[in-house]
Amino acid sequence: MNSCTDCLSRNTCQSADKPMENYIRQLPRETAHHRVEGQSTKCGFGLQGVCCRLCANGPCRITPDAPRGICGANADTIVARNFLRAVAAGSGCYIHVVENTARQLKNTGLYKDKIRSEKALNHLAELLDVTGADKYDLCVKVADKVLSDLYRPEYEPMELVEKLAYKPRVQRWKELGIMPGGAKGEVFNNIVKTSTNLSSDPVEMLTSCLRLGISTGLYGLQLTNLLNDVVLGDPVIRSAPVGMNVIDPDYINILITGHQHSLFTSIQDRLLEEDVVEKAKAAGAKGFKLVGCTCVGQDLQLRGAHYTEIFDGHAGNNYISEAVLSCGAIDAVLSEFNCTLPGIEPVCDELKIKQICLDVVAKKANADYIPFNYETRQADGDRIIDEIIAAYKERRGNVPLNLFPEHGNKNTLTGVSEGSLKEFLGGSWKPLIDLIAAGKIKGLAGVVGCSSVAYGHDTLTAELAKELISRDILVLTAGCSSGGLENIGLMTPEAAELAGPNLKAVCKQLGIPPVLNFGPCLAIGRLEIVATEIATEMGVDLPQLPLVLSAAQWLEEQALADGAFGLALGLPLHLGVPPFITGSKLVAKVLTEDMVELTGGRVIIDNDGKSAADTLEAIIEEKRKALKI
Amino acid sequence: MKRIFIDPAKCDGCKNCSLACMESHRQDGGRGLYTLDLTDPVNQSRNRIISDGMGGYRPIFCRHCDSPDCANTCMSGALEKNLETGLVTYDKDKCAACFMCVMNCRYGVPAVSPDRTRIIKCDFCAHLEEGPACVRACPKKAIEVREV
Repeated sequence: MNSCTDCLSRNTCQSADKPMENYIRQLPRETAHHRVEGQSTKCGFGLQGVCCRLCANGPCRITPDAPRGICGANADTIVARNFLRAVAAGSGCYIHVVENTARQLKNTGLYKDKIRSEKALNHLAELLDVTGADKYDLCVKVADKVLSDLYRPEYEPMELVEKLAYKPRVQRWKELGIMPGGAKGEVFNNIVKTSTNLSSDPVEMLTSCLRLGISTGLYGLQLTNLLNDVVLGDPVIRSAPVGMNVIDPDYINILITGHQHSLFTSIQDRLLEEDVVEKAKAAGAKGFKLVGCTCVGQDLQLRGAHYTEIFDGHAGNNYISEAVLSCGAIDAVLSEFNCTLPGIEPVCDELKIKQICLDVVAKKANADYIPFNYETRQADGDRIIDEIIAAYKERRGNVPLNLFPEHGNKNTLTGVSEGSLKEFLGGSWKPLIDLIAAGKIKGLAGVVGCSSVAYGHDTLTAELAKELISRDILVLTAGCSSGGLENIGLMTPEAAELAGPNLKAVCKQLGIPPVLNFGPCLAIGRLEIVATEIATEMGVDLPQLPLVLSAAQWLEEQALADGAFGLALGLPLHLGVPPFITGSKLVAKVLTEDMVELTGGRVIIDNDGKSAADTLEAIIEEKRKALKI
Repeated sequence: MKRIFIDPAKCDGCKNCSLACMESHRQDGGRGLYTLDLTDPVNQSRNRIISDGMGGYRPIFCRHCDSPDCANTCMSGALEKNLETGLVTYDKDKCAACFMCVMNCRYGVPAVSPDRTRIIKCDFCAHLEEGPACVRACPKKAIEVREV
């Protein structure tokens, strides 16, 4: 990488965040936003999911002249197989996260380490029906209960599903035969199913997607949050800065990326200890700061009330990580999972930013790999800190700063969770239900999932969110959608001005924005808890609620596993681009039409924010009518 | 006069040109590659990519020949060489569906329509101001439009 800017494409993609779009366009190096143009010619077979490269006869592609692959697989089989493979891989990612999180809780108990929320621990113990001799023993027992379910074989149903899921849903899942077995076994079994010349049954493969969706959602999402609450502390509603203004160049700054917040706890605490701060001061800095990026930053922001001293704030989502690093004031990237883009590597090399990876599943080519090990976490943490200080000394003064202090805002509402929101409402969902019943809030929309750039950075997400709030639909976010929407100010109280008259009045009265930030994609599990508790209080099943989901800019396989969870819950799910399924009429029909009969959910594909909002609003109106509200 | 020129050495056989052709000529009113029906013979492409048997590819496109076999053997006058534009045009209303063109084109370009009432042949995307869709879709620039 050099500083020759003339040969760089100036045609960066559009972003919903205009100041960021301009910042990126003027960078002297390439980012994902620059690479969009060079990748703009897409393969039509890939887009439709009808390219199969499962064997040496391939790749086979479906055309009018060649409607079957060499093996005889038709478009339906090829599409369903590719889709199930993606959902299984996505599920594997989240199950990896919950497995590590449960192991962290177990070790916290075994080593009698700091428990930040006994309330969360007791809640979880009650939910899972676990008792223990003391709080540490309880941590171990809770974690073991979760782990033993994850490790069950695929043919043995998981025990906690019935405790975690809403009763009417469990009933329906049993009728459909989609109660999941051991979560890891499910991933394994379904990968087997999609290998060469195994399953050719598209409908069976689609029902397997639902089963994976359930295990992903209840364990990978819901439980990960609840386990993390114990070790990391409960989310607390507060106002916080977001965007690149959070970066203070006077500190040694560590950008954290990934999804496994609990792997950072010991190092996070250590960075505030006096001897370590002294080391930073000796190197010329005021101390250390963590800067959030991707979902782990979003999670830290959510619990930021417990970390005000070490955590500077959330800079943004995955697709601005290259830009954030370009500010020159980040000294190290500490990563443990996705969405740590490979594109950060040349940026780190050029700007002498130290890359350290804590989990081999997300090993970056240029990063030092220091595996997280509970036993040696103190010594490893000290080693990491020393490496980062060394990088700071080597780079500061030698690398130009390109700060962007005007970016973002200072008053984004954060810390919203199923617990903190309910508390905010006075300990009950009734006020929210009353507002919905009175039509002050027309309905709820979970605008969740990722950020993508191929058709614009957060552009559809932002357009859709604005359309929804203008129709008095309260938006709840979880995932990189949160990072994009908060940086453009939709989570500040002032954003109430963009809401429809009824929602605006509610927001102003309560002092809240019309888009509520639940944090990371993992918090889709929190949205499910909110939905379940509201449905319980109303005495209805989830598909009856005036609630819709949109993963407008879904990016990756994990999002597809989340989406499968949404469908299993019976919710309408909007996607901006199809998940490589349109090459099969059967698969497209099952997902977009027939699913209503199965679970109550369905996929809606629309790349236009306004017309997608029209569709979602119509669904909400329909559900309100059925509820006679 | 414009012609499509082909550099087979650059072709990777991705068939983006074929899909672009199918998309450009689809009749179902839809738009965008996501919804193009890849199993419907009505949507067949006017170009094709064949293997050269040596690990490379031969993109087969209508050359709008100076002395076109198809037009020369067309008895109904449906196929004509337009001396002004250089294109070999096809008028399906005049077509007798005798398929002499299909039998005579030395490159095997004209194809019989699925209902056997007409032929399918490159029209240089006459309906598109920006010119042939195939050329714009090629990621390797193996095909290009040149003035001749």
